[in-house]
Amino acid sequence: MKIKYLLDEEEIPKKWYNVAADMPTPLKPPLNPGTLKPLTAQDMEAIFPKALIQQEMSTERWIDIPEEVREILKLWRPTPLYRAASLEKALKTPAKIYYKYEGVSPAGSHKPNTAIPQAYYNMKEGIERLATETGAGQWGSALSLATCLFGLQCTVYMVRSSFDSKPYRKSAMRVWGAECLSSPSDRTNFGRQIREKMPDTPGSLGIAISEAVEDAASHDNTNYSLGSVLNHVLLHQTIEGQELKKQFDMTEDYPDVMFGCCGGGSNFPGMVFPFIPDKLKDKKDLRMVACEPTACPTLTEGLFAYDYGDTAGMAPVIMMYTLGHDFIPPGIHAGGLRYHGDAPLLSNLVHDGLIEATALQQTEVFEAATLFARTEGIIPAPEASHAIKPAIDEALNCRKTGEEKVIFISLSGHGHFDLAAYDAYNDGKLVDYVYPADLVKQSLAKLPKP
Amino acid sequence: MAGGKGRIGFLINPIAGMGGPVGLKGTDGLAEKAIAMGARPRAMERARACLDHLSREKDAIHFLTASGSMGESSLKECGLDYEVVYSPLPVTSSRDTIRTCQAFLDKGANLILFCGGDGTARDVAGIAGSTPILGIPAGVKMHSGVFAASPQAAADLVIRFLNGELNLRDTEIVDVDEEFYRAGILQTKLYALAKTPYLPVLVAERKRIYISDQEDEFKDQIALFASEFMRDGSAYIIGAGTTTSRIADILGLEKTLLGVDVVKDGRLMITDASEQDLLELLDRETRVMIIISPIGAQGFILGRGNQQLSAEVIRRVGIDKLIIISTPHKLAEIPYLLVDTGDEDLDESLAGKRQVVTGYRIAQMKDTLAASRL
Repeated sequence: MKIKYLLDEEEIPKKWYNVAADMPTPLKPPLNPGTLKPLTAQDMEAIFPKALIQQEMSTERWIDIPEEVREILKLWRPTPLYRAASLEKALKTPAKIYYKYEGVSPAGSHKPNTAIPQAYYNMKEGIERLATETGAGQWGSALSLATCLFGLQCTVYMVRSSFDSKPYRKSAMRVWGAECLSSPSDRTNFGRQIREKMPDTPGSLGIAISEAVEDAASHDNTNYSLGSVLNHVLLHQTIEGQELKKQFDMTEDYPDVMFGCCGGGSNFPGMVFPFIPDKLKDKKDLRMVACEPTACPTLTEGLFAYDYGDTAGMAPVIMMYTLGHDFIPPGIHAGGLRYHGDAPLLSNLVHDGLIEATALQQTEVFEAATLFARTEGIIPAPEASHAIKPAIDEALNCRKTGEEKVIFISLSGHGHFDLAAYDAYNDGKLVDYVYPADLVKQSLAKLPKP
Repeated sequence: MAGGKGRIGFLINPIAGMGGPVGLKGTDGLAEKAIAMGARPRAMERARACLDHLSREKDAIHFLTASGSMGESSLKECGLDYEVVYSPLPVTSSRDTIRTCQAFLDKGANLILFCGGDGTARDVAGIAGSTPILGIPAGVKMHSGVFAASPQAAADLVIRFLNGELNLRDTEIVDVDEEFYRAGILQTKLYALAKTPYLPVLVAERKRIYISDQEDEFKDQIALFASEFMRDGSAYIIGAGTTTSRIADILGLEKTLLGVDVVKDGRLMITDASEQDLLELLDRETRVMIIISPIGAQGFILGRGNQQLSAEVIRRVGIDKLIIISTPHKLAEIPYLLVDTGDEDLDESLAGKRQVVTGYRIAQMKDTLAASRL
């Protein structure tokens, strides 16, 4: 049986795919957090380069990938598609399971796919430093790598819970020349305020975003960079799904169901968006399932509404699924999935019923990850493992029904920096957090009107 | 005087624990019978095990104690620095425990370390007020949360307390009514609340995420969330404890700490409700919910300290209308939640994974067991 499906370097896509061109319902415009009027390009220029602002607002279907960017992507792209033959055997399933592994990048995840172009465009426009936030450390590592390759400085505000639990992520960022701070930090006004009000907060992505945005907005030579949620980030990640389509052609299979983990949205949309036209135009019967933690179930339990992208209310107000920008999710091990909102492009497609969502508990996710490691060898990141669990369930269901479904897992990264989390699982110390959705709905039902 | 030393009030209930091994289910009022049946003074051995460990730090502690078997003789044997502040009569009683504690407080004790069981804990907690107390486990029953896991663990906690490494928390003092218990009926009551030192446990993750001195912050978060979802017009039966009473604080209501109250639309409808009051409430109100918190160290949510919430009350409210709240710290320390409503079928239907609200819009799943299955 063929296990690995590999593409040549020349097959790295030359264009990014912009799903905005094919959306059944157009996106509602992001709003300026100060005026609550639609955001203009000028509003964004304080923190983003012009090229990225154009991409953010574009509805062109295809956007060229600069050659300098493709050259660097060659360091690890195209990434391999695997047939999970050992896992299939262990599950005794008639289903075929495939996974595309983004952990082969230098930073160990899919995040450099957008970090590289973002650093490139900022460098082109004369920016000297990028400020950003990171949850689990994947994005911070990726941007540190990218800024290092393009000769920029980098300041990373890392969510405190991850900063404390993943010391080697900081070390990696340092090797790539970046400065990594525990957020809330004493570097920004907002960070200092939070530290005073909640000295023992585990931090959150929302807080770290506020800090990085404040840093960028208050320094002329500095821009802000975000690793998920924004349209241009999802655009850059579509390089994954385009490769995947070519690889599925090699297998002569076509997926029945695709699973990917989802925090703010970057790997999952990047992998599935290039398949959206198949579903819309060719009426393919394909399920695409975003997998999130029960502790922070944005797509499964959130409201589809305008909300702030960050905790301080400095980032644009966007139409998305949200648990409320003041919600600070509990400190689960899949730090990269602790975000109160979700990408507007993805939210829109979920709202239109083209994409589904499911929520998983920590313990079952680690149980699935362990089975995966013991069969396929790779120790997956806790985030990525959220996609493994429902894929295994689907395959086990096929065992009952006898269906030979083609199941796809988007394996966004390795878990080499998450071994403490695996220890906690093996020591029986994981807590299964849930979001008390019924009580929250009850609390919102009779909100006092201002 | 002991300049710069920690002042620890130390007392032993010399008859504690004697009833257990001879099947007396407690020793209240039965010491002579226990001795006649061959019981040995177990408390002295347990206290000695703790003091042996404390003798490592003997220069750092000045003990205040009662004479003879209530403390003095054990401290003397271990060569520790002490002064006698109270002399009991030859046959000790609960009155001596209380008077000894009063003398400790008068002499400025930083902590009261006692050796006994639930009955002793009740007596000590009843007078200690804001002075922290810690139990060396030696009783027949130890339902209260003030006991260390072992005499050695108690010594370790004392040393860490004096070094400023520990935090204080509120804990419930519960005791079984021994008359009922001997007749085969387990009837516990919540008697008091006390401060006790404890080691900040790490919650949720191996690395530092939340440390336990933020327990109050979590209570506030839970109470804030509750105050929001309680706006729905239902009547809320609120159980005993410090976590539940924080909800009343936020709503600006005067809650009975040890009893069950009913709140609707931000107003107190019934204070210290009896089972009958609750059944009458259920005749009048169509939408009723119950908010409860685990009591004591074992994790009982029903059947200990809140018998007003009888099987009939729970059934009429509906088992899906039970909201359990707890700080993450407390939840981490109990292996599962326990229910003992006296109705085995009801207990079974309450068992399984239940959602426990642990913060603002945050909950955890916790296994719940029927006590009869233990």
